[in-house]
Amino acid sequence: MNIIIMARKMLIDGEKGNPNGEETHYDFDLFVIGAGSGGVRASRFSAQYGAKVGICELPFHPVSSEVIGGVGGTCVIRGCVPKKILVYGASFGPELQDARNFGWELNERNDFDWKKLLHKKTEEILRLNGIYKRLLANSGVKLYEGEGKVVGPNEVEVTQLDGTKISYSAKHILIATGSRAQRLPIPGQELAITSDEALSLEELPKRAVVLGAGYIAVEFASIWRGMGATVDLFYRKELPLRGFDDEMRAVVARNLEGRGINLHPSTNLTELVRTEDGIKVRTDHGEELMADVVLFATGRAPNTKRLNLEAVGVELDKIGAVKVDEYSQTNIPSIWAIGDATNRMNLTPVALMEGGYFAKTVFGGEPIKPDHTNVPCAVFCIPPLSVVGLSEEQATEQANGDVLVFTSTFNPMKNTISGRQEKTFMKLVVDSETDKVLGASMCGPDAPEIMQGIAIALKCGATKAQFDSTVGIHPSAAEEFVTLRSVTRRIAAGSNPSLESTRYESEEKRLEEGKMSMEIFEAPFDHEMGEATKKVQFSPARSS
Amino acid sequence: MAASLSTPKLSSPTLQTLCKKCKFPTNPFSSFSHYNKPNHFGSFNSFSHPRTRSYCRRFTTRADSTNVAEPPRKYDFDLFTIGAGSGGVRASRFAANFGASVAVCELPFATVSSDSTGGVGGTCVLRGCVPKKLLVYASKYSHEFEESCGFGWNYAAEPEHDWSTLIANKNAEIQRLTGIYKNTLKNAGVALIEGRGKIVDPHTVDVDGKIYSAKNILISVGGRPFIPDIPGSEYAIDSDAALDLPSKPRKIAIVGGGYIAVEFAGIFNGLKSDVHVFIRQKKVLRGFDEEIRDFVGEQMLLRGIEFRTEESPQAIIKSSDGSLSLKTNKGTIDGFSHIMFATGRKPNTKNLGLETVGVKLTENGAIEVDEYSQTSVPSIWAVGDVTDRINLTPVALMEGGALAKTLFANKPTKPEYSAVPSAVFSQPPIAQVGLTEEQAIKEYGDVDVYTANFRPLKATLSGLPDRIFMKLIVCAKTNKVIGLHMCGEDSPEIIQGFAVAVKAGLTKADFDATVGIHPTAAEELVTMRTPTRKIRRTPSEGKTDSEIKSTAGV
Repeated sequence: MNIIIMARKMLIDGEKGNPNGEETHYDFDLFVIGAGSGGVRASRFSAQYGAKVGICELPFHPVSSEVIGGVGGTCVIRGCVPKKILVYGASFGPELQDARNFGWELNERNDFDWKKLLHKKTEEILRLNGIYKRLLANSGVKLYEGEGKVVGPNEVEVTQLDGTKISYSAKHILIATGSRAQRLPIPGQELAITSDEALSLEELPKRAVVLGAGYIAVEFASIWRGMGATVDLFYRKELPLRGFDDEMRAVVARNLEGRGINLHPSTNLTELVRTEDGIKVRTDHGEELMADVVLFATGRAPNTKRLNLEAVGVELDKIGAVKVDEYSQTNIPSIWAIGDATNRMNLTPVALMEGGYFAKTVFGGEPIKPDHTNVPCAVFCIPPLSVVGLSEEQATEQANGDVLVFTSTFNPMKNTISGRQEKTFMKLVVDSETDKVLGASMCGPDAPEIMQGIAIALKCGATKAQFDSTVGIHPSAAEEFVTLRSVTRRIAAGSNPSLESTRYESEEKRLEEGKMSMEIFEAPFDHEMGEATKKVQFSPARSS
Repeated sequence: MAASLSTPKLSSPTLQTLCKKCKFPTNPFSSFSHYNKPNHFGSFNSFSHPRTRSYCRRFTTRADSTNVAEPPRKYDFDLFTIGAGSGGVRASRFAANFGASVAVCELPFATVSSDSTGGVGGTCVLRGCVPKKLLVYASKYSHEFEESCGFGWNYAAEPEHDWSTLIANKNAEIQRLTGIYKNTLKNAGVALIEGRGKIVDPHTVDVDGKIYSAKNILISVGGRPFIPDIPGSEYAIDSDAALDLPSKPRKIAIVGGGYIAVEFAGIFNGLKSDVHVFIRQKKVLRGFDEEIRDFVGEQMLLRGIEFRTEESPQAIIKSSDGSLSLKTNKGTIDGFSHIMFATGRKPNTKNLGLETVGVKLTENGAIEVDEYSQTSVPSIWAVGDVTDRINLTPVALMEGGALAKTLFANKPTKPEYSAVPSAVFSQPPIAQVGLTEEQAIKEYGDVDVYTANFRPLKATLSGLPDRIFMKLIVCAKTNKVIGLHMCGEDSPEIIQGFAVAVKAGLTKADFDATVGIHPTAAEELVTMRTPTRKIRRTPSEGKTDSEIKSTAGV
């Protein structure tokens, strides 16, 4: 077991941990299973605090399995990064259409080479995979390729590529194995693909069927549509993106439809059958359609099955996520877990936060809990959605006083020339008693970039008055967030608006759009102007 | 056109309605209530600014004389606004909303402004922000076509641009907008008078021979491009003309290094004109953060714009083939189809009658105002570019809104100029809020500077040399973020939210506590962990040390 490669200082915190003064010798201060966002962050930071760290990860491949993974994890290899690359690629399709009214003469159909994009995407994730490996090496973290298992509270066994097993002792073990896409158990499920494969398809589908209502479903629907495919999106509920603000969900659905995606709400798939012409898809409404690709975006499950956690007594929840306390510690004190494996808030920056705070807590001598409130996030459908804080429904439930809702629907300036019929929608939810902004959301171009700064304001409890006192940047879409002057509606404390009334309001709003589209550039003014009408129109809607 | 305007005669139904409105105001803060409430100005006592105090005294005297000596004089309007641009329209509408009777006059519509042409909507809508940004959108596409090649898109032929389609669509849009502005005025009950307004006395405005009296007069006539008087300057175009050229320049010289110059350089370069920028200094964008100035210059150079630094124009020569030559202190460059001067703007204060009523102007012709936008003549006020404070549309809106509150809502309000964010729609664009590094060091001495200079995800795929530069300036003593600068794609959209945070006085720790949105460029601003340099006043710690930031955000 020739593993002690570099000499390192013994931990000060290690001494503190042993009040009897007797030093147990471990191969590592920390051994991390899984080199994704959370694992790499925790390893690097722990090493910077002086800990001796080992980390293991499965060999690299774009499509993950029990035995394949890669340094960088889901985000870099099969998630955020390749997804966003494809979103960029897909966005050019509609961009080229928009260019025409700006005076650009283009062919009716522009050629898109999927293989080229795929190749460049793979190049990029390989580059990032290399960067991650270097980052680990530069911070003195020892990387092992192979499958890690927990064999005792302080013992990890790594099965190497050649099948040989080596075990390492560690004072602390961190589980950061992430999660993997799940398939729906219906007949023919093996014909479907998950997001892993969708990011690496050999051929671009001409006809794509997407099952699911989450962010992955709407993102892939947008990607394939942008690249010219016919896309049918099926989901169980009335609207996609459960858990998001209801009004925003309706806006996303409308935009997906506006961009040419066929929506099938309240519909399930019942069977997939291979035929000569492709995959025949049957729904619970008795419909049938043909597809080249069927994507199941039906959720992800934590990668905890083959970690041997039960054997050492680490508690898991119903879906198999590792149960942790606020410091990311499991019920076995020497074993910790972060990221998607714990199924708290499955986002890269949250895993980074959890990983960084773990390192600080365990090796930095400063116990610190990750704070999962006011975490902003984005859905990269086209156009994207981004939110921070509470949805209108959550705010109504949680606020003590009345909730004030400020909204704005406007035609983005670019569309005035391009002629694209698509409105940007923004919303601020404010506590009427404290004036604090409880939630912000936006669906429209650049929403994720716009929301980041807004998130700081929310995180720090900024008030609506502070938003209003900020001067706008003109002409931008973002300036709407600081010029929302009049209340669209006021929701009495404790009332629970149903989705129905919200949707009715959206209808009202659409009726109003004739006026709305007139108001584009004077967003700063029109709120006052529209106030009276809006109030008249909205109040009956709410009470009905 | 005149048919659509409210007729200025007192007998007109509009005006009668307005007069009724001011006799029986629906708003509790009626304009006349000012003079009837003796302790109305009590709130002014705490103000320390000397001009405010004199303002207060003046008002008291006037109020006294109004109350005691003579019955309140009857005016045609509570407010007469000269100039229906951003600031004028905002002030007029808000004043009307507060119950005041308001008229606004504006010159007839034209894409190019002059002493006799203007148009409802003003510079922003007709000759500034809006048409400029529409042209920026159009010109950005050539870069997007290049980018898209790296993402698998192919073009059978190089996309060509048709200038006339763009200009026609742009003009249709600004026509539509000027119509909307007229409607918003009408809906607010503001009387719109087409013509050239001139002040006759502190309460009287003459619009092309028709006389209107008003309790308050607001000057919001904006500014206009200024071309220095050199031989051949008649061949030069300004930004007004550049936004409405009959054909696209083949080869254009842009003289100037300010935001207008760099924006138009980006526009014409994107539309594939040959662009040469002549700047007097070594760098573009004087007054901006030095690193931003360097960075944007480099990025523009990479996109094909040619810069000629430390060159001042001396003459323009038109040759027999119609092409133009620009003679500078360093030589003469031939073959330009167009020469554009972006050499600054001047307030439109000539021929307004200001001298006759004694409204004080600054050296460069701007109207001098106090913190409440009041001029040296108490009944005359001014907002927007004509006052040359911060010449931005949202600032004019803020000044206009504050003035309406001060005059008609019983709420004296000063516009607040700290942490006003702004953007330059160069390619790539710039946005900023708060202090530059140079200002911050001067003001606070000890500052920590965090920077990031990276290649965005899009550029790694496109293979283009695009980069993003970001800078956070933190007061070392208070940990407050006092300056934020960014150059790169989406900067103006990104910085708005951060401006809320800076305005609210949030700290670097607050930024750090915020979780990133992944993958975005903006998340970089909440994940800057190590200062690039710490600047300290005391010589012992005063060395500018440049610690190198860890490579990636992992």
